[in-house]
Amino acid sequence: MGQSCGNHWFPFRLGFGDRLVGVTTYCDYPVEAQRLPKIGGFMNPSLEVIVAKKPDVVIGVNTATDPAKAREMERLGLRVTLISVTSLNDILTGIKSIARLMGSPQTGEQLVAKIDADIQAIKKRVAAAPRRRVLLAVGIRPLVVVGGKNFIDELITLAGGENIAGSATQPWLNLPEEYVVAKAPQVIIEAGMGSERQQSGNRWGDLKSVPAVTNGRVYAYPSDKILRPGPRVGEALTELAGLIHPECFTNPSNDKRNGESRCESPKP
Amino acid sequence: MILVNGCLFLLLILSALGCSLLGPVPLDFVRAFENIFSPDPSAEILFRTRLPRVLLGVAIGGGMAACGVVLQALLRNPLACPQMLGVSGGASLGGILGLIFFPHWLLPIAGGLLGEISWVPLTAFLGALLSMVLIYRFSLFHGRLHPYHLLLSGVIFNSFIAAVIMFLNSIVDFYQAQGLLFWLMGSLSTRAYLTVGFIWIYIVIGFLWLWTKGLSLNLITLGEEAAMQLGVETGALQRQIFVASSLMIGAMVSVSGMIGFVGLMIPHVMRLIVGSDHRLLLPASFLAGGIFLCWADTLARILLAPAELPVGIITAFFGGPFFLFLLYREGTKKLAL
Repeated sequence: MGQSCGNHWFPFRLGFGDRLVGVTTYCDYPVEAQRLPKIGGFMNPSLEVIVAKKPDVVIGVNTATDPAKAREMERLGLRVTLISVTSLNDILTGIKSIARLMGSPQTGEQLVAKIDADIQAIKKRVAAAPRRRVLLAVGIRPLVVVGGKNFIDELITLAGGENIAGSATQPWLNLPEEYVVAKAPQVIIEAGMGSERQQSGNRWGDLKSVPAVTNGRVYAYPSDKILRPGPRVGEALTELAGLIHPECFTNPSNDKRNGESRCESPKP
Repeated sequence: MILVNGCLFLLLILSALGCSLLGPVPLDFVRAFENIFSPDPSAEILFRTRLPRVLLGVAIGGGMAACGVVLQALLRNPLACPQMLGVSGGASLGGILGLIFFPHWLLPIAGGLLGEISWVPLTAFLGALLSMVLIYRFSLFHGRLHPYHLLLSGVIFNSFIAAVIMFLNSIVDFYQAQGLLFWLMGSLSTRAYLTVGFIWIYIVIGFLWLWTKGLSLNLITLGEEAAMQLGVETGALQRQIFVASSLMIGAMVSVSGMIGFVGLMIPHVMRLIVGSDHRLLLPASFLAGGIFLCWADTLARILLAPAELPVGIITAFFGGPFFLFLLYREGTKKLAL
């Protein structure tokens, strides 16, 4: 068993980690993955290293793996499976198909059921809360944000938010500041882990009309859970919902003392 | 002569105004002006996001064009520009290294000022100056500067730097890579007025310094020997121009990355219009470069709205074909310096 993509923790989460023979250089989660042999970057894995590992199957992502390279691997007699991670549904389907590949479809069903349960739980929790306009940035300068056609856009919606760049056709895009001002996000999440973190200090300071800035709701929240498509989408959703609607996640006993759930009270 | 520059100046002001009024989101101008000093979305879009970006674009377009003019004259080569000479590349690498080895321990003392205005422009300036000195040294034989060697080593140096940046790009985190690519592509973004102000100061100092060399530049286009006989200290002139343009390029690249074509194309276009007297050509190119980049950036903001394009794509997209058309129409004679 081997694989060629940043989605290596699919097998890990499914309990098949010991059957992986190689991961990409970007793979750093879970910790066990760091000890596995590296096969190169996920867009440009080294063909000969893959072949030398004699994997039974190579797992890749259809939007990242070079089709010519996939064909070349097939020509060399390797079994290549490309999964899609564009939408939330794709990710769940991918989990199931990898579990099937490993000969244990029920493990996949169980994990998907658990993620589904997470999704339902969060949906219920934020159901009564007002929808908040959200900007999720992965790059500070230039400003790179999550657009539409991206599973993170779906996660934001499920978490009771509305992605202000969700109308864009690109999954990731550069956004001009004026668009941010015009859409007035109520929550800004900086999820990127770039070296430019130190520059973000005063990034939004000038934009006093943006509710997220005036209400102190700009979160520097470097999170690979949120950014990377994989079995942790359920946890990612919980994290996102916690950032967008923190009032829904306070201690229930506090809510009782106040006589009502703070989650349902309309926010000014 | 003053007429041409006057017209260009007027055009620049109109362009800056026009570009401030155009953008991917609709704007209520009356409301914007009524609420200049209060946190109103229209006012913030106009005065906090568009205007500083337009002002930055004008400074960078003008600075690039001015650097192109002097480098072409000094090297007596129509291909010279910050890109070709490897100076932009050196500045980019300096800036990137400055970002990676950011002195965090200085932050509590210097505060946001450090990140915004001084540290990265400083490392970019050092990168620009160092690469210029290096390329200059490699092109110096028996105390004489060989323009062709200079150009060749510059082009090669720039490719080398691009490879180094791509290498850094492939070893950093995937999401960090987005930030590094911007140094190669070149793009403008909204900056605080403080940053824009400092970039203007760097560029104005560099520009005025270059402008005082206008007459010497006129003479040096006649050939190095001729200029020497007419009393130009060519060695000192070369050094001063290298330092002044490194200062400008370092400042520009530190905020916008490598924006191509402005420094190459605008000087040629303006030479066709106003002639080769550098005392006139320099300000004319500065103004025209500002106008060009101002409009290019407006297109970059609007074309794929709400997404924005790196402005380097627009300048190359319009600059490339236009430059070829100019070459074809004018033949080789008029493009001579």
